Amino acid sequence: MNVRSFTMLQTLRNSWRTFPRRFATKVTVVGGDEIGSGTGIGQITGRVRSKDGGPHKVNTPSKEVVTHLPPLTEPLPDLPEAVYAKPLVESVTTKVTTLVNGLRIASEPRYGQFCTVGLVLDSGPRYEVAYPSGVSHFLEKLAFNSTVNFPNKDAILKELEKNGGICDCQSSRDTLIYAASIDSRALESVTRLLADVTLRPTLSEQEVNLARRAVSFELETLGMRPEQEPILMDMIHAAAYKENTLGLPKLCPPSNLESIDRSVLMNYLRYHHTPDRMVIAGVGVDHDELVEHVTKYFVDNEAIWMNENLTSTGPNQVDTSQAQYTGGLVKEHCEIPIYAAAGLPELAHVVLGFEGCSHQDSDFVPLCVLNIMMGGGGSFSAGGPGKGMYSRLYTKVLNRYHWMYSATAYNHAYVDTGLFCIHGSAPPQHLRDMVEVLTRELMNMTAEPSSEELMRSKIQLQSMLLMNLESRPVVFEDVGRQVLVTGYRKRPEHFINEIEKVTAADIQRVAQRLLNSVPSVAARGDIQNLPELKDITNALNSSGRSLGRRLSLFK
Amino acid sequence: MALRVLGVTQNMRSYMRGVDLIKRYKSALTVKKTLLNIPATQVTRLDNGLRVASEDSGASTATVGLWIDAGSRSENDKNNGVAHFLEHMAFKGTAKRSQTDLELEVENMGAHLNAYTSREQTVFYAKCLSKDVPKAVEILADIIQNSKLGESEIARERSVILREMQEVESNLQEVVFDHLHATAYQGTPLGQTILGPTKNIQSIGKSDLTDYIQTHYKASRIVLAGAGGVKHDELVKLAGQNLGSLESSVLPAEITPCRFTGSEVRVRDDSLPLAHVAIAVEGCGWTDQDNIPLMVANTLVGAWDRSQGGGANNASNLARASAEDNLCHSFQSFNTCYKDTGLWGIYFVCDPLQCEDMLFNVQTEWMRLCTMVTEAEVERAKNLLKTNMLLQLDGTTPICEDIGRQILCYNRRIPLHELEQRIDAVSVQNVRDVGMKYIYDRCPAVSAVGPVENLPDYNRIRSSMYWLRV
Repeated sequence: MNVRSFTMLQTLRNSWRTFPRRFATKVTVVGGDEIGSGTGIGQITGRVRSKDGGPHKVNTPSKEVVTHLPPLTEPLPDLPEAVYAKPLVESVTTKVTTLVNGLRIASEPRYGQFCTVGLVLDSGPRYEVAYPSGVSHFLEKLAFNSTVNFPNKDAILKELEKNGGICDCQSSRDTLIYAASIDSRALESVTRLLADVTLRPTLSEQEVNLARRAVSFELETLGMRPEQEPILMDMIHAAAYKENTLGLPKLCPPSNLESIDRSVLMNYLRYHHTPDRMVIAGVGVDHDELVEHVTKYFVDNEAIWMNENLTSTGPNQVDTSQAQYTGGLVKEHCEIPIYAAAGLPELAHVVLGFEGCSHQDSDFVPLCVLNIMMGGGGSFSAGGPGKGMYSRLYTKVLNRYHWMYSATAYNHAYVDTGLFCIHGSAPPQHLRDMVEVLTRELMNMTAEPSSEELMRSKIQLQSMLLMNLESRPVVFEDVGRQVLVTGYRKRPEHFINEIEKVTAADIQRVAQRLLNSVPSVAARGDIQNLPELKDITNALNSSGRSLGRRLSLFK
Repeated sequence: MALRVLGVTQNMRSYMRGVDLIKRYKSALTVKKTLLNIPATQVTRLDNGLRVASEDSGASTATVGLWIDAGSRSENDKNNGVAHFLEHMAFKGTAKRSQTDLELEVENMGAHLNAYTSREQTVFYAKCLSKDVPKAVEILADIIQNSKLGESEIARERSVILREMQEVESNLQEVVFDHLHATAYQGTPLGQTILGPTKNIQSIGKSDLTDYIQTHYKASRIVLAGAGGVKHDELVKLAGQNLGSLESSVLPAEITPCRFTGSEVRVRDDSLPLAHVAIAVEGCGWTDQDNIPLMVANTLVGAWDRSQGGGANNASNLARASAEDNLCHSFQSFNTCYKDTGLWGIYFVCDPLQCEDMLFNVQTEWMRLCTMVTEAEVERAKNLLKTNMLLQLDGTTPICEDIGRQILCYNRRIPLHELEQRIDAVSVQNVRDVGMKYIYDRCPAVSAVGPVENLPDYNRIRSSMYWLRV
């Protein structure tokens, strides 16, 4: 090494030292005589070079024509003439057929070249009481893996891709959904595939291991993200339904990762994936054709567990118990990952839960309106007009208390119960105030809402319903879930009418109904300032009296 | 001389091949009509040059919006951020509606009003019940023509945008892509961020905003698009009533060519848990016929994240490698297009000490793509691409978005059967050819944020863009 290069190295080393630690920005430019300084994102540096000549030609793609077609601005020559569909007013009915073994098939016709077909199963974490929690989480990951007739996942994906299809499996607390969207002409192929996926999965050792890894990665990722919703929703359900049905976790607890294996899963499938707990729903399909294929692949062919000697000593029946709302507290004192950008604070999260009602309850629709009326979201931005920026949690909470980071109302409805909750997040020192503000807001819902506010919430709920149903997979899910519970589908028009009928008195009544329940509380993060559960309960019980006081609800 | 002869023969050859392809079409298309079970897209041009395009599905809800051919690319270093600032100001009241009136009007009809700004487009759209379409168009027309732009609102929005900037900075994917544009298009307007630098946000005033509107919001550069329960004739009438007085521009919109520079930015920050890296070569513009094969190539490389599980069975080679060897947490191949240029590349997130291995796999895959990608892989990618494109068009908003964007980019909506045919026409040789043209031995732009010590230096990355054996 000569002297000159040594000095250069020295200079370089020194210049590096002047950068703040951990934030060195280095820019390299290839063959450029004008170098961008790279001091800020997107700053314009350097000159604009003339079009011709100069070193930049080195990196200009060749002008060679490699795709021998006209540019996308011009139509292809010799295209066949297209025959388009005429707009049609959607006036369809849901056809439902029940097969001899109890399997229900529901379908609706719809526009477009694609259909969505799938299964909605009465299965999920709420039935896992006698199993290690996490079975459904594993099943979700194991969906669309090898089956008796398909040697591996790749074969399944290829079968779908052949007809332009995609598939997905999602579990919620009380339903498991396997679905595929695919070219309508491939109905038979997709029915055969779905039948194999749900009734004849092989669940090989290797696949279970991969699923275990995917679950543990997912848990790890959840732990690294600032968003807390999935964890908090498990916690508030655990508080509301202590150790029973809906209170069982959806996320596999890390300690159960090793105890879930093929025999546990097979045993679960044997008792939960039975025809009477299944609905096969199709949107954009011909009903008779669907029935025919389903009979062939779901009824005539047996499930894998029928021919297999299961060695498991697991339970041999389904947990049919009613959900027991208990109320209570679940908390976790922990560090919550903060958003990477500077200036955003560490947050503490709290969810307040109340016993709501089932989706079959007559108060269900008013409770949905109340949910919209409370609304809420993030404090940063309501996301433009129309996202509920005039809902109570915005006007009365987020716009007023600037330390609040988010406040959102959720309404979870199940077949036999419901959980209404309000999630809030704020820096830990405001935790106590946050609980108070949110409690007070729910209590305020018992006062009569203005007619304009009520009307707005009702229209918003109606338009939200219709907008969600624009998408085929959403219609599929709606058909499947409703038929699973009641055997038929209530049309959107039915709900539109029901929403229309909701009065201010209904809102006040359901708000009071919520307040009559024992509260459930879930809290996560730095939660030293969390008020005692009994103080929250007392504050809610003495609603009328302590409301007038501006001072704390909690002593 | 010899060179010139060679050049000619090459041209001849490509011409011949073109003829070949067209012939093949003819024979394949004995059936002259093809049934598309979707409604047609109708396009009408008003006298002032504004285009109205819609697809009527008769649904009970609809999406209507204004797609404007202007974005951060139309700015310079002095006013970078104006397009986005305007997007914010749009909802802050007009000459006839105060901010509260506007908000309540939209909320009370259960509609949603949305806006976004990209590097080349500014979009305002509304989603509503189909009976409210006339009102929605009137509101959209009002906010782009009569925005009040009050000084106090501007001041208030300034702090909102600065806070939004904070949010953007907390999203490392956005940070990486901003750096990628900054380095790939250094010295040109495409290198600018959409939000603009803090300095500009603090100084942008009413006159900058009005200037921008005056220059860019011209009828000929605006498309009114609609999907769902919208009747085309009515939409045209509404456009005439509400947007008919917009000036058409005298001059066609001028685009400054944006030069691509192979280069890199590294923001090393060891306090972050994962390395975020994007690497891209210069792709093609929207309208280029190479766009379709590049999209196929992009689909072939694919996307994956480790919670997907079963990655070992994934269609994408790279996903399989990532799952088996734990190379990364996620990766996503991208093909971002602009008018006359584009970025084709990959973004990945990995553990600090996996950067090198991951990048090695990425580049090996790219080289394989250019030289010996197989027919089966290409066929699979073509199928996937078709599926993704078709399934995405579900719901009024994605369809409206597709219409608006396509009219701006292509001045027409490519019919589905044409798109399918263009994808079908991509052969394995075509993929290798575009690979050779755009990827092989080209200087990439690299952007890396986080603990990226392990990422090989630029010259090593560059030297993996070709193989000594092919």
